[in-house]
Amino acid sequence: MGGCAPHVTDGPPAPLRRRPPRLSLWTVLQGVLSASLLLLFLLPIYALFSEAPFPRVVAALQNPQVWASIWLTFYASGIALLAAAVFGIPLGYLLARRSFRGRAVVESLVALPVVVPHLLVGFGLFLLFVPGTPLHHVTVALGLPVYDTLLGVVLVLVFVSAPYTVLASDLSFRAVDGRMIEAARSLGAGGPDAFVTVTLPIALRGIVAGLLLSWARAVSEIGGLLILAWVVYPSGLYSGPVSTTISVYIYNLVQLGDLQDAAAVSSIFLLIAFGLFLAVRLGERYGRLPWGRGELLP
Amino acid sequence: MSGWEIEALESDLGGFRLGPVDLALAPGTAVAVLGRSGAGKTTFLRTLAGFLAADRGRILRDGTDVTEWLPERRCLGYVPQGLALFPHRTVERNVRYPLELRERPDAAGRTRELLERFSLSKLADRRPSQLSGGEAQRVALARTLAADPELILWDEPWQALDVEARYELGLVLHELRETDRVPVVVVTHDPGLAFSLADRFLLLQDGRVELASDATALLDAPPNAFAARFVGFENVFDRTRLERRGAGGLAAWLLERAGPEGVAFAAPGPSAEGVPWRWTGTVRSARPTPDGVVVEMLADGLPLVLRAPRSRTVPPPLVGARIGFDIDPSALCALGASRRSVPEGP
Repeated sequence: MGGCAPHVTDGPPAPLRRRPPRLSLWTVLQGVLSASLLLLFLLPIYALFSEAPFPRVVAALQNPQVWASIWLTFYASGIALLAAAVFGIPLGYLLARRSFRGRAVVESLVALPVVVPHLLVGFGLFLLFVPGTPLHHVTVALGLPVYDTLLGVVLVLVFVSAPYTVLASDLSFRAVDGRMIEAARSLGAGGPDAFVTVTLPIALRGIVAGLLLSWARAVSEIGGLLILAWVVYPSGLYSGPVSTTISVYIYNLVQLGDLQDAAAVSSIFLLIAFGLFLAVRLGERYGRLPWGRGELLP
Repeated sequence: MSGWEIEALESDLGGFRLGPVDLALAPGTAVAVLGRSGAGKTTFLRTLAGFLAADRGRILRDGTDVTEWLPERRCLGYVPQGLALFPHRTVERNVRYPLELRERPDAAGRTRELLERFSLSKLADRRPSQLSGGEAQRVALARTLAADPELILWDEPWQALDVEARYELGLVLHELRETDRVPVVVVTHDPGLAFSLADRFLLLQDGRVELASDATALLDAPPNAFAARFVGFENVFDRTRLERRGAGGLAAWLLERAGPEGVAFAAPGPSAEGVPWRWTGTVRSARPTPDGVVVEMLADGLPLVLRAPRSRTVPPPLVGARIGFDIDPSALCALGASRRSVPEGP
């Protein structure tokens, strides 16, 4: 007997029947590998929650400083998100649709913030804006000081988070079939019309994915902030109390040795972040978000 | 002056050169653009549509030179390969798209009218991904017509359609020509569509116009092997390949009758009563058709297609059988030369 099936034995073929579902080695391997990673995610979270006694959590919930810090974190990351969209999407479009000299340099520059340690980012910005530098005088004269202000936080966050929007926009715009745009043009759409009515909506899903990544990256930032904006004093767009972002807030508690309070605040923030991501996921699943169903979240 | 005129249109695209192309398109005419892949068919359409710059020549719309105009001002409906329906819009909003751009007050009514005309009303809320090939074609056509184009450019309308959908689309295209009187330029690889729809043919090869003629001229003297096969010659041979086979038998006979460039011949047929077959060959396949049977065979090392009429008494030949055949010398023609110029047989 020959044919394409190896290991053919003589004798009558076995009767055809549906193979019963069984646990193959392959399935087990997948399960073990996935579970290991999930465990790595879960264990530290478990440790945080178990370290936080309930009364401390309640106390943290009633602490206006905690809420000011959480508010500052979302406020700053929101502005950074807006900036990533306003400046990052056009740059992504440029990279996707135009060819120009020095393109490779620009592309590398965009990837750089993803690679460098974020302390360097904060340090670089610090050197630019620290009191005594020309830029410091200019920004203060304009009423927009950077050192230890909301603007400083936002600058760091944009630096570390916008690349995700640029990269995702680049890929998404590239994926839009040029024939769609040509069809739109010949149906009467000018260049800007075609961009707004065809290119952007088709690319939106991928761009939103990039924006969410950017936002997530901004919320979790600490390295750059430790140098440029450890404390945030009211100025410009921020009129709240003197505060810090939540990451710095928790870092400070840990530094002070107040581990139980640190764990309590961490738990609260974890729940809020998890709830937000879950809400976006469910929103996608049930089609309530404009970009519809999709794999958007990191 | 009415309709479109293309005068000596040329465009250079780094290594590829299109044209010069001359073409007149009166209302209600249809032109089929033919040629092998890479011959410049799509390039020609995109140049007309304004997505590629014309380096020389002119495009005139009702006497107005539109060669330098932006695509959106040319009033032509370009349907690219794959149709390019907008995936984020429903069928209804795809069709409405050109009307929205023009801010037409009657957009809703006109959209409804077009959906009805192309039997799309029930599909109005579907997304393009939920349509069959034929439905998607109708949406593309409805959307194009919503822009009131003065010329329709369609790249491979029948691509990926089943036979039934092809038939229906053919009817729609005919209606388009007869009712709307919009001139149509189609790029097609389908002889059925080309011959039923087009009154003129533009055959491109490596960007050059190999032939611009009506159906008769194309059928009468296909200029190259592609055209010969396209119009339905099933047995097309390259002269150099025949020569390589030596002077024996069938190849020599074909060479003797061939023109200087190559040969195309049709209609190998059954011998007249009582006369012995001139050639024999081995049957590779036999496929029944409504008219008879199409036999693919190998004779003297040459692959041949033979059409035998339907017969109630003679069964179709079996694969591997050796059968005899003759070739009607008057059906033999050299590529690029009129069939009538070929000398009569022995």
